[in-house]
Amino acid sequence: MITVNSLTKSYGEITVLNIDQLEIPKGQCFGLVGNNGAGKTTFFSLLLDLIKTSTGEIISNDIAVAQSEEWKSFTSAFIDDSFLIGYLTPEEYFYFVGELRGIDKAAVDLFLETYVDFFNDEILNQKKYLRDFSKGNQKKVGLIATFIGSPKVVILDEPFANLDPTTQIRLKQLIKAETEKRELTLLISSHDLNHVTDVCNRIVLLERGAVIMDKETTAKTLQELEDYFSA
Amino acid sequence: MPTSLFQLSRKKFMRAPQLEAKLAIKILMGFVVLYFGGSLLFAGIAVYPFLSDLLPERDAISVINSVLVLIFILELIIRYFLQQLPVTEIKSFLLLSIPKKRIIRNVLFRSLLSVYNAIPVLFYLPISISMFQDDYALGQVIAWWVAVTAFSLCLNFISFLANKNNKALAGFVILIILLYLSESYMDFETLRAVGYFFDALIMQPLWVLVPLGVFVLLYQITFSFLKKNLNLEGSLAAKKEVANAGRYDFLDVFGSHAFFLKNDLRLIVRNVRPKNIVLMSFLFLFYGLFFFTQDNQPESLLVFASIFISGGFLLTYGNYVPAWDSEYYAFLMTQNLSYKKYLDSKWRLMTFAVIVSTVLSLPYLYFGVKTYLMILSGAAFNIGLGTWITLYGGLLNKQPLKLNVKAKAFENTQAFSGKLMLMIFPKMVLPVLLYIIPATLFNPTAGYITLAASGVLGIVFKNQILTQMVKLFAKQKHEMLQAFTQK
Repeated sequence: MITVNSLTKSYGEITVLNIDQLEIPKGQCFGLVGNNGAGKTTFFSLLLDLIKTSTGEIISNDIAVAQSEEWKSFTSAFIDDSFLIGYLTPEEYFYFVGELRGIDKAAVDLFLETYVDFFNDEILNQKKYLRDFSKGNQKKVGLIATFIGSPKVVILDEPFANLDPTTQIRLKQLIKAETEKRELTLLISSHDLNHVTDVCNRIVLLERGAVIMDKETTAKTLQELEDYFSA
Repeated sequence: MPTSLFQLSRKKFMRAPQLEAKLAIKILMGFVVLYFGGSLLFAGIAVYPFLSDLLPERDAISVINSVLVLIFILELIIRYFLQQLPVTEIKSFLLLSIPKKRIIRNVLFRSLLSVYNAIPVLFYLPISISMFQDDYALGQVIAWWVAVTAFSLCLNFISFLANKNNKALAGFVILIILLYLSESYMDFETLRAVGYFFDALIMQPLWVLVPLGVFVLLYQITFSFLKKNLNLEGSLAAKKEVANAGRYDFLDVFGSHAFFLKNDLRLIVRNVRPKNIVLMSFLFLFYGLFFFTQDNQPESLLVFASIFISGGFLLTYGNYVPAWDSEYYAFLMTQNLSYKKYLDSKWRLMTFAVIVSTVLSLPYLYFGVKTYLMILSGAAFNIGLGTWITLYGGLLNKQPLKLNVKAKAFENTQAFSGKLMLMIFPKMVLPVLLYIIPATLFNPTAGYITLAASGVLGIVFKNQILTQMVKLFAKQKHEMLQAFTQK
């Protein structure tokens, strides 16, 4: 689904990301871990053409993301709160995203019904603008909105951060359900090794912009990661 | 004065995105300042001898004194609209151990360093020198100059207060209107009193203590105003507003672009800053009253007025068009939304606004069908070309905008700035040229037809223009994303 060829990103002399070759097959749940400054968000930003590549290219479903904007029709992402529109209510935001992906209001309402548990009565019908919600609730809205219109590729940057424990667990169930339901290529970055090894079937470890480890998730993966990070 | 705070503002400028563009604008502004400064200096040197020759039976300084109040009011208006206030990143200093007083003193002191405060030196000092040469005593001359300067600096604080506080602004406007009314309808000599005061001051230089006192008082008021507001929103508890449920279904007539228009409408209605700016664009509707009510206006001025009447929204809101979306720009750039559709929807928004303004300007029919046809040709230009020029300017503007500014006292809430004026320039000159050239070659009607035809051409070639804009937009995308994430 996604192919990365000799990708680098540098700012002046400093190279912040250098991935020679990476292939993410269709339907994979891809977990990205690494300390701050490892290049996780840089990689996602490059995938979404939010920053320019220094060399190399990213091809998503046969489309070079830097050349054409066609990838937008099957990709969705939630990187940070700049992905929310503060002056809308959650409903209006969902409808807005739905409209952009060709889903009408009734279908969006139907879609939202399946996430009632996840929202925990704190999101819908609150008569509040998104800017007045807490960080955690804002994040719930942003995360759910990425699944509207069944995009083939979903990119989530640190989805577990800022969420309360209950919601973290519900998010894991939700992700598992989504990936089982259809052929979804899901890219997640996280500092929570527990969660990320739980939901992802492949883990890539970045350090200073380079891939250090790239493995299918097994029962031992969590231990290996913990060993790496405590060393 | 605390030098470290000055260094921070210097760094803010040097490290800003688009330094080159900013420098170019600064240099251009420099020429503008030089020009106006030179004119002021010339006026200051020439006015006294000129008045002495023109009205030998009266004291030149007394004539100057009698119009000082008008100069002050004009100066206040200019300062209010154009003077940029020194905006320090106050929030980040609040928790540091810098005494509040020092932060405020820095802001106020820097506001005194503004170029607008060169007026006393450039304009009033040469007058004082002329007075001295005209055999006034040194004490009288100094008292006069100090008094005028103190008033001019008072205006500095008044414009500061009016900019930060809408109640203060309303207060000043009402005061000036009342003074004017009492002067012209009730035989009170309120405005003229300023002139008498300065006459008396020359007789008795001790009166200089009054303007100095006013200056100190205004400094104190400004100081305590800032001190009172120098915290995060008064209290830290976030105020929750109830969302308004406006659905704006009437916009559905716009088909597939309707939901964009709805969103832009929500943006305007629910955020402090765009709301104020759009309210201001309504004032442009009345612009024509200044021109159409007077006889023998040159036609090129009337073209100006027609452009303003239907183009208020373009001049106020339109100038910042992609920047209004800067808070969630990354989101828009990753959604299933082509550049073309995005720009097209913005074009439609502006066109919609021009059409609304044109309909609202129907009362101008009172001045005759010809006047309204002028407005219509101006509207055609605004739709066909004005919108694109505005969008082009907006794409070059890479300043992010905070939509719902609440910490008002420390944000630049002015809608106009010198820089913006420079961007408006081509939008104003082009239509006048389009009118003047055929109008002088043939007749005024040909001018209006050309103006309207240019707009129609813009509409006919809309797709071609749009394609070019998309190319520019795509080229600018990463730069804009980077600039918009700078806080």
